[in-house]
Amino acid sequence: MRFRFFFGEAIDSLVRNWVMSLAGIVTVLVSMFVLGIGTFVFFNVQRAASGVTQKLEIEVFIKNAASQDEINKLGDEIRAMPEVRDMNFVSKDEAMNRLRDSMKGHEDVLQALSGNPLPASYEIFLKDTNQTQEVASRFYDNPAVDNSAITNTARDPIKLAGGLSASATTMTVTAGGGSQLAKDLYIRVDHEIMRVTDNPVGDKISIARGLFGTTADTHADGAGVYSTDGVKTGGKTTERVNMVANYTLIGGSGFVVLLAVASVLLISNTIRLSIFARRREVEIMRLVGATNWFIRWPFVIEGIATGLLGATGAVILVIIVQNSIVNMIKQQLTFLGAEAVPTFWLLLAIIGGGMLLGSVGSALALRRFLKI
Amino acid sequence: MIRFENVSKVYDPNIVGLDGVNVHIDRGEFCFLVGHSGSGKSTFIRLLLKEFEPTKGSITVAGRNLQRMRRAALPHHRRSIGCVFQDFKLLPNKSVADNVAYALRVTGQPARSIRRKVPEILQLVGLGDKMNNLPDELSAGEQQRVSVARAFVNHPSLLVADEPTGNLDPDTSVGIMQLLYRINRTGTTVLMATHDREMVDKMRKRVIALEDGKVIRDEDKGLYR
Repeated sequence: MRFRFFFGEAIDSLVRNWVMSLAGIVTVLVSMFVLGIGTFVFFNVQRAASGVTQKLEIEVFIKNAASQDEINKLGDEIRAMPEVRDMNFVSKDEAMNRLRDSMKGHEDVLQALSGNPLPASYEIFLKDTNQTQEVASRFYDNPAVDNSAITNTARDPIKLAGGLSASATTMTVTAGGGSQLAKDLYIRVDHEIMRVTDNPVGDKISIARGLFGTTADTHADGAGVYSTDGVKTGGKTTERVNMVANYTLIGGSGFVVLLAVASVLLISNTIRLSIFARRREVEIMRLVGATNWFIRWPFVIEGIATGLLGATGAVILVIIVQNSIVNMIKQQLTFLGAEAVPTFWLLLAIIGGGMLLGSVGSALALRRFLKI
Repeated sequence: MIRFENVSKVYDPNIVGLDGVNVHIDRGEFCFLVGHSGSGKSTFIRLLLKEFEPTKGSITVAGRNLQRMRRAALPHHRRSIGCVFQDFKLLPNKSVADNVAYALRVTGQPARSIRRKVPEILQLVGLGDKMNNLPDELSAGEQQRVSVARAFVNHPSLLVADEPTGNLDPDTSVGIMQLLYRINRTGTTVLMATHDREMVDKMRKRVIALEDGKVIRDEDKGLYR
């Protein structure tokens, strides 16, 4: 019965100061809405991130010309590497099947292909993602790997028709034989490997010698030029997705904290005004012998109700927005596959958050403005 | 019932409210507290309600020493005293019935007994037909009756009135006085601060006169003078 009385008093005050109450409710609504949408975005970025991490880390494409012996030997080498957690051989036929699956509904595009242009490959999964680049580099000069550093020729990375020449300050790689160098390639001198990207298409490239260690012997037999075409890594993508996930988390939570502070202050201000408007009444209540909490409860409930009303509005908005985004993505960007945050958790987070904001706000106001 | 022992109250910048007051009022007495504005009447009453502490001396009300009272006991102390003020001090947003009910609610009375007692006491003060009006809709005399009803609904052993007729015309004042007199007849101690000479002279009750914070006269069946 007491609670019903307090509740009535609180609602009475909410309605009487409806403009301020509305301001409080809307602030809570906005901050909880941002919290909800942030949760939705973060939930999906995380989902995507964990999906990418589970995907393959290195994919080594095998030359069409490679013999079965070469393929088996490469497989044995990979299996022997201590960094490798798991590996998987994908034949040319399987690669084709996969492509067909991923293009359901557009099979007509595949009709245009003559034969099977897809290479066979090894998919490699590592124990530690940080080793991706290092392990990948081991395949750059493997004869079985389809590393087409030189375009329009026999695709043999080791034997450059032109070769490597050096002066005191520069090294020049020449393709020779009328062929062109690939845009993205690796140059190895002895055991040092350097990556050259965005190479202007042409038959030769010059690099400053200083980029290699001073000990590099330009006349060494082991010099070679490789492209990365035959070896693909997922590491970069994973890294990027993780980075995006972290930034969304940091930026999002910063924003939510700011809005939460704003809501607390606004609710506290609303309650303060309502205390101020009723200071004479509070005085009378004290004279009649009301205990502190008898006076405080209606104000506390008023704050919590403000939070609750704002949060309820936010939940409804978030659910509507979230579902329409998910539907849109499902229809138009099939490969992304967004997913809504489970309603239960959303409700718990937002309603809980709203009520927390409300009670902190009113507690703040009571402490500062209702000294009894 | 009330015992003031050598009580002094000095307000902040050296303004004397009460100066060495010794007063003893027995249970069931009807007592006037008279004096000019600023003579210390209000200070006396506010000390009784423990709105603030005396600078010196000790106050005992209904066997409780106010200086030794814990803060948590203050609401209970206030509930045991009914108060009526010159400006009524009614809650403006609540109906007459809710105003009276508030005094019962703070004591944690069950809803059923509140529903029974409120109309009863409002009938008694002659406002049975205005229960659902807001205070603003009543005349000053009626508002003071509500205030008296609220003060008496808990049946306190002491009723304190600070200039209850100060805002009322003489005829209405008589009505309020009759109410207070009837309340006194039920055994409730009544202490009334006033400067209504006619009323005091007519009633012939105990009169305590204050001037500049000192008791200058204390006599039974006294006159205002």
